[in-house]
Amino acid sequence: MQDAENVAVPEAAEERAEPGQQQPAAEPPPAEGLLRPAGPGAPEAAGTKASSEEVGVAEAGPELEGEAPGEQARDERSDSRAQAASEDAGGNEGRAAEAEPRALENGDADEPSFSDPEDFVDDVSEEELLGDVLKDRPQEADGIDSVIVVDNVPQVGPDRLEKLKNVIHKIFSKFGKITNDFYPEEDGKTKGYIFLEYASPAHAVDAVKNADGYKLDKQHTFRVNLFTDFDKYMTISDEWDIPEKQPFKDLGNLRYWLEEAECRDQYSVIFESGDRTSIFWNDVKDPVSIEERARWTETYVRWSPKGTYLATFHQRGIALWGGEKFKQIQRFSHQGVQLIDFSPCERYLVTFSPLMDTQDDPQAIIIWDILTGHKKRGFHCESSAHWPIFKWSHDGKFFARMTLDTLSIYETPSMGLLDKKSLKISGIKDFSWSPGGNIIAFWVPEDKDIPARVTLMQLPTRQEIRVRNLFNVVDCKLHWQKNGDYLCVKVDRTPKGTQGVVTNFEIFRMREKQVPVDVVEMKETIIAFAWEPNGSKFAVLHGEAPRISVSFYHVKNNGKIELIKMFDKQQANTIFWSPQGQFVVLAGLRSMNGALAFVDTSDCTVMNIAEHYMASDVEWDPTGRYVVTSVSWWSHKVDNAYWLWTFQGRLLQKNNKDRFCQLLWRPRPPTLLSQEQIKQIKKDLKKYSKIFEQKDRLSQSKASKELVERRRTMMEDFRKYRKMAQELYMEQKNERLELRGGVDTDELDSNVDDWEEETIEFFVTEEIIPLGNQE
Amino acid sequence: MKPILLQGHERSITQIKYNREGDLLFTVAKDPIVNVWYSVNGERLGTYMGHTGAVWCVDADWDTKHVLTGSADNSCRLWDCETGKQLALLKTNSAVRTCGFDFGGNIIMFSTDKQMGYQCFVSFFDLRDPSQIDNNEPYMKIPCNDSKITSAVWGPLGECIIAGHESGELNQYSAKRSGRAAPSLPLHSSPCPTSPRKALFTDFPPAFSLQLFDSTTLEHQKTFRTERPVNSAALSPNYDHVVLGGGQEAMDVTTTSTRIGKFEARFFHLAFEEEFGRVKGHFGPINSVAFHPDGKSYSSGGEDGYVRIHYFDPQYFEFEFEA
Repeated sequence: MQDAENVAVPEAAEERAEPGQQQPAAEPPPAEGLLRPAGPGAPEAAGTKASSEEVGVAEAGPELEGEAPGEQARDERSDSRAQAASEDAGGNEGRAAEAEPRALENGDADEPSFSDPEDFVDDVSEEELLGDVLKDRPQEADGIDSVIVVDNVPQVGPDRLEKLKNVIHKIFSKFGKITNDFYPEEDGKTKGYIFLEYASPAHAVDAVKNADGYKLDKQHTFRVNLFTDFDKYMTISDEWDIPEKQPFKDLGNLRYWLEEAECRDQYSVIFESGDRTSIFWNDVKDPVSIEERARWTETYVRWSPKGTYLATFHQRGIALWGGEKFKQIQRFSHQGVQLIDFSPCERYLVTFSPLMDTQDDPQAIIIWDILTGHKKRGFHCESSAHWPIFKWSHDGKFFARMTLDTLSIYETPSMGLLDKKSLKISGIKDFSWSPGGNIIAFWVPEDKDIPARVTLMQLPTRQEIRVRNLFNVVDCKLHWQKNGDYLCVKVDRTPKGTQGVVTNFEIFRMREKQVPVDVVEMKETIIAFAWEPNGSKFAVLHGEAPRISVSFYHVKNNGKIELIKMFDKQQANTIFWSPQGQFVVLAGLRSMNGALAFVDTSDCTVMNIAEHYMASDVEWDPTGRYVVTSVSWWSHKVDNAYWLWTFQGRLLQKNNKDRFCQLLWRPRPPTLLSQEQIKQIKKDLKKYSKIFEQKDRLSQSKASKELVERRRTMMEDFRKYRKMAQELYMEQKNERLELRGGVDTDELDSNVDDWEEETIEFFVTEEIIPLGNQE
Repeated sequence: MKPILLQGHERSITQIKYNREGDLLFTVAKDPIVNVWYSVNGERLGTYMGHTGAVWCVDADWDTKHVLTGSADNSCRLWDCETGKQLALLKTNSAVRTCGFDFGGNIIMFSTDKQMGYQCFVSFFDLRDPSQIDNNEPYMKIPCNDSKITSAVWGPLGECIIAGHESGELNQYSAKRSGRAAPSLPLHSSPCPTSPRKALFTDFPPAFSLQLFDSTTLEHQKTFRTERPVNSAALSPNYDHVVLGGGQEAMDVTTTSTRIGKFEARFFHLAFEEEFGRVKGHFGPINSVAFHPDGKSYSSGGEDGYVRIHYFDPQYFEFEFEA
């Protein structure tokens, strides 16, 4: 009980209880106690009475542990009551007797006197009473803010002191007027550090910012600090404190959607011109809605590369959502954010905002740690024209950025420059990471006599594994195959002695020694190029509208590049390979009215030719089973819809959505199956397909059964209604007959008897035109 | 089957109508000509000349003796069908938007636009009393204060007319001398009436749909959804089918291609509300559609000024929904 009391009863209460029991008239008032029995006799009694009341209250405290705060509040109230009573009594000794009963009757005496008793000793410091007011009290400037400390100053004897002072003065008076200086000396030499005082603290700050790190000579680099910072650095503990552990937040299974029994995929849909965002399960019959929210994002959404997070854009930053209920997982505050990019490992997020960048605090591009939500580093950025500015290596270990004549490669998690320096590559035009290894490819254009060059560089060793020189180059484009097995450099050239541009496809075989290169040349205009993901084929759209052809090439093991097939007269301007390869959709988007061709490249057959009029986008699902074409409100204002097709080009659904904007499939992480397992599955495909076919049949017959059922009920209702209407109609037969003078006109032939035969001749003019004079 | 193209108008078609037997087809347009055609081969039988403005509406009585037309030249005219002689000229204060004979062919009705400071009125004349026509004194004239009538048809047995207002309301007006009757329905846009049987249609722009009502009780029955405005609709006399005509609004047509405009006649099943067929052809929105009374053909008149008579292919009659 004693322990409990100590915990819950305010100390003051205990102390206050004392005077009553011990008659402490002569004793000095307890240090903290607010109750001050000032004189003997009556005030004492008042005090005793009041405090004994409080004891009762205070004792109740421990029994009502749960309500401690309320209890305390009551304590305080009775404190002031008691104080008021005692003060009142003490101040008017003559009327003490009067005061007593009043104080006894009701604690809160109606007219307390606030003046102190004559022998009152103030035991409360001013800070304690009105610390908050005193804090703002005007203070003398001690000038300490304007003082800086400069370290690493040369140590000189008195003979050269004057010279040193001159040099120092020259350097430091740039930032403001120096009003005072001090050169501590020891054994006739300066100590190597000096104090300078400026006219204003602003000058001192300026000096610290600009002169810190100033190189006086080889041995002496100034370190400049504010004098006031001394305190700050002094208090830093020499011991490293273990950071406090953050409680673990269970976000549930962020990859739950992969466990769906039917292996369905999810996609996000933005519609009503961006006001509403929905997430659906893709289903052959009808999409199944999972989540729909109004104003979920202000512009658009992005999925992270493995599908774990959904990023929404807001004026104040980015929010990430995930888990089964799409709860908010993380927020990144970046005012006016416009563009984002995830690292391929989903560990980092890069955000870009055109606002907020200042000279000394780079904030145009911020790299965030997704798990902790902390800002890792900010960067300056002049233009976002070529987003992403930072390109990530496939494993997220490195990221690189290109500026004029330099390529800067940074490493994670330090976010520092790799080997502390950028690569100097004069004239660098473009670069790109291999998706299959830490290899970077970049190219530089021709410069007078030096030919254009494509370089492949291994990182972090910076070893150049392949350099290829090219001549008469106009432009280069780097296309990596998805696994990083091949690199195609599309080179636009103007060879000497010819007119116009010739395109060379320089195919680098990355998996072979020395990285051999083969070339395919094309004289026609190239509209699009795309590698087959997971394969060794590529497709090229070439020619001038309306004579556009598509060519499929195959890179053989021996390096030969073989034209498999060419289709001419295509209506296409974009190539969309299935993410699993083999199948491809050639689309004529926007200006080409949305023509679609579904091609199987294993035997190069066109499986279907279709059209989604005015389609603006084509999106394959991550498994390559379905493909969606859509007309986005962002590019076209009517007929906004998305259509779902099978990979063979069979139309499954037409989903009209009011002002539909964008559909994005939720990506899947790479498969966990080994190559052997995949092979095994492919071998046993027949076994599986039987099961799936049966499932499909079942669900199909169920669906058609439902439809038929629905129609049947509708028909029944309709028949009922019609029967009623017809009965009414029959009832009115006599009235009808009457109205039409007894002629029955209910049926077209119900008044056959009244018919008069009328023959109408249709005049057919016959004209004979002789076929010229053949004689 | 290839449609029969009727080129008898210089301006957009406003209304087309078969007579009761279906051998004749009356067409009116935004030019002053009223045409009548043989529906069987599309040969023009004749014209009714006299109007001096766009003709908004046409109707023939049950035995095809008389033809009634209403025009923007502020007149409603009665013609002898066979001879083309103008029998009566009823002057009005504003354009005549709708007109019609009652079931028995004895009473005519027309409504005028709210225009040039004049109210919208529905007027009723009894042809059996020649003095009414001679003096241009209808036996009943009902003012419509709130919103003008955009379309009107006679109810069964000619007891009342059912009118659709610009505001989207649907009202019944009794043709007996008592004025407005029966319930009024708040709807959304211009109704386009058809069908002698038992239905009314309205077009309802936010969602672009066609709605079907019972003509006696004005109870809502069915909704047919489209993605373009619906201007007109007709019920098949012998199948549970309904044909819808419409398309992108005329004012937007010049800025959109034919394919975006969806100037198609669309066929829906009456009970299932499901679309089962489309007929292309017009290069402007369809303003009026009509079923031949034998159900073997239908016609459509478009903003492009053409009337097309379509005879159904055999597949149409064989088609059935799985149910």
